[in-house]
Amino acid sequence: MEAYLAAIAAIALIYVLLALGLTLHYGLTGLINFGHVGFFCIGAYAAAILSTKGGMPIAVGFVAAAVLAGLAAWPIGLVSLRLRDDYFAIVTLGFSETVRLVVTSERWLTNGVQGIPGIPRLFEGLGVGMPSALAIVGVLLAVNAAAIWLFFRLVKSPFGRMIEAIRDNEEAVRALGKDPARFKIRVLVLGAALAGIAGAFYAHYIGYVVPDQFIPLVTFYVWMAIIMGGVGRISGAVVGAALLMLFLEGSRFLRDVVPFISAVDMASVRIGAVGLALVLFTMFRPQGLMGDYTRR
Amino acid sequence: MTLTLSSLTRSFGGFRAVDSVSFSVDEGGLVGVIGPNGAGKSTLFSLISGFLAPDSGTVSLFGEDITRLAAHERARRGMVRTFQVPREYAHLTVRENLLAAVPGQSGETLRGLFLRPAAVRAEEQTARARVADAIGFLRLSPVAETPAGRLSGGQKKLLELGRALMTNPKLILLDEPFAGVNPVLVAALSDHIRTLNGRGIGFLIIEHDLPALTRLVSTLHVMDRGRIIASGAPEAVLSAPEVREAYLGGVS
Amino acid sequence: MVFWVELLIAGVVSGLVIGLVALAITLVFGIARFPNAATGDTMTLGAYGALAGHAATGSLLLGGALGALGGAVTGLAAYALVFRRLSGRSTVALLVASIGIGFILRAGLALAFGHTQQVFQAPLVRPWRFEGVRIHPNDLRLAATAAFALAVVFATLYLTPIGRRMRAVADDPALARVCGISPVRVMVALWLLAGAVAGIAGVILGMRTVVAPEIGWDMLLPGFAAAILGGIGSPVGAVVAGLIIGIAQEMATPVVGFTYKIALAFVVMLFVLLVRPRGLFGRVEGVR
Repeated sequence: MEAYLAAIAAIALIYVLLALGLTLHYGLTGLINFGHVGFFCIGAYAAAILSTKGGMPIAVGFVAAAVLAGLAAWPIGLVSLRLRDDYFAIVTLGFSETVRLVVTSERWLTNGVQGIPGIPRLFEGLGVGMPSALAIVGVLLAVNAAAIWLFFRLVKSPFGRMIEAIRDNEEAVRALGKDPARFKIRVLVLGAALAGIAGAFYAHYIGYVVPDQFIPLVTFYVWMAIIMGGVGRISGAVVGAALLMLFLEGSRFLRDVVPFISAVDMASVRIGAVGLALVLFTMFRPQGLMGDYTRR
Repeated sequence: MTLTLSSLTRSFGGFRAVDSVSFSVDEGGLVGVIGPNGAGKSTLFSLISGFLAPDSGTVSLFGEDITRLAAHERARRGMVRTFQVPREYAHLTVRENLLAAVPGQSGETLRGLFLRPAAVRAEEQTARARVADAIGFLRLSPVAETPAGRLSGGQKKLLELGRALMTNPKLILLDEPFAGVNPVLVAALSDHIRTLNGRGIGFLIIEHDLPALTRLVSTLHVMDRGRIIASGAPEAVLSAPEVREAYLGGVS
Repeated sequence: MVFWVELLIAGVVSGLVIGLVALAITLVFGIARFPNAATGDTMTLGAYGALAGHAATGSLLLGGALGALGGAVTGLAAYALVFRRLSGRSTVALLVASIGIGFILRAGLALAFGHTQQVFQAPLVRPWRFEGVRIHPNDLRLAATAAFALAVVFATLYLTPIGRRMRAVADDPALARVCGISPVRVMVALWLLAGAVAGIAGVILGMRTVVAPEIGWDMLLPGFAAAILGGIGSPVGAVVAGLIIGIAQEMATPVVGFTYKIALAFVVMLFVLLVRPRGLFGRVEGVR
């Protein structure tokens, strides 16, 4: 039971990192990022490749995950921040699918659809079981706390004021002498780097990576989380990721209760439920479960 | 000359919305542009402020050709615009709306934010003092901590003017500042404009509300079908027959 | 040489499919003003509808008609139940809702028809040969179907009163309202038409390859790319761009490999957005 809870906590905390990144992108700045899983994927593969084939220390993989995911966001930003927000959504969606195609095709680097197994777990020295599981959760908690602290500092700063101004009305920002693209590109890179770190944690936690882990559905899990938790609040990312975990694990229990439902059918039920949640929340509760998002 | 337009032209699919418009605004001038709906006033404003590119013609500010500059770069050179439909930052308070308009804050760069926190704090204090002054001047104190989305239409117009002021402008372009504003606020707004003009800030105002505008400006340009058809002192311009025909005739 | 000609023919057929998807996307984008991410899954529904219709009646033609009808009904239902109620809301609300609708469709189809790939049971026909170039009669039939569908859509858009109204709304929604064009009737026609077009695209894709729950989603990116390349809101542009992308994908396959076919669409999209955001036939105001 403890092991199960620790596992859930670890995955939930990884989702919190993803949700924080998307909150920075969409909730605070208004960037409709439909390709978050692409940055997550780059981080996961960077950590996986460096720690297995590269034989590098795990810490190097984490740094590389953040840097590469951030670097990938840079050209995407340069190209598409000049575009309307609906175009930005399409371009980011295309980006994440392209990333998945690349890791599927470049077998020399990624082993293609077979993926990369045998990624070292964190704290293997502590032995398999509770000590290492708790250490992992502890590190994730610390990283999340650091990210949340950073976010609060950002939001309360003049920089945070500007990105929310951009979200509310970009043309007014331009009219008043500030270049929205300058802010947006930094926001995009920061959130992507955070997603990259989440990917590194994911790779080291699960122990293997395959392209199928990085389908667009993951992006919309994160969207569902921030919409449920309340768009535009940092607390919303945390609450939403917790609710998402409840949903994902709840649907797993459902399989034990409902007889004759296969694993693939369950996956479909899950996709359908995510779809329904996205539609219903957008229509009836756009402010999320927690209420008004006027300020944080 | 603060602002000089020469032969500005812009077409949309064969229709000339702005047709070789030329005029200038002197330093500290108070100039109005009127014209019937569809005369091209808003397009002209977009051309001046950099939200649209002209097909031909030039815009220059303090002798510098700014025709190819982006909107935010024009604003940085001391010419700032407001919008006909206010574009407040709805989720930010009035105070935050004004703070966000203060230029040159090193706290708006990540480097400044994390490497020079003391400087950022000092700048923020200066900015807050300036914002407090503006809130007092515009009599927005009762709503200073209200999210701007909840303001009345007139208050939003005041906020737009306030944000423009925070950028230390030499010339403010006002896009229909009196539209949809109650008469008391129109008077207050006119007073503010006069006061600011007295401090040396130039104004170029597009307006529909003729009486309020003619009392305010010293020079009036009349636009019709993309062209300037008359210019001069308000009374003289308004009594010109072609103006009565194009503008007033169209109304009655 | 023969090899390349065969690729060209394959490109034309898949280009017609992409063109149909792009047409459905561009109609909605031009008139309802958002990129409908449920277009791909509406296609999938069309393919399964045709499969079921074919199994029930034994006629490919009736099956295809059922697929088109399924797409039209899906489009109308999505409008009536969701998009109509979101009118006036931000683009992101419509976008997220369309993603949600796509997921619901995909899940429902997978649960109803299973996850395994299915194929249309059609008799095997030996390909014809012209100067050594193999041409599959089946491909010709599908290309003819696509061309017929396109002809019907263009006739609707350019020759009927409701089509003229749709184009008027696409040009200028405010002006169209002033002229007394009922937005609801235009929207109903739009969603029926766009849904049917997506459905037919799915039917053709399913008959040409296989039917599986993800086939539509995988066409979404090429569809968006073609809609952007053609110029948002331009039906002619969508079809021309679909053909260009379809042919480019097939011709590039020997060079870049099978998986990068889809990435090619992404590259085309980025290139167009950078160099000429209004596309081949688009209006200037399309993009800021």
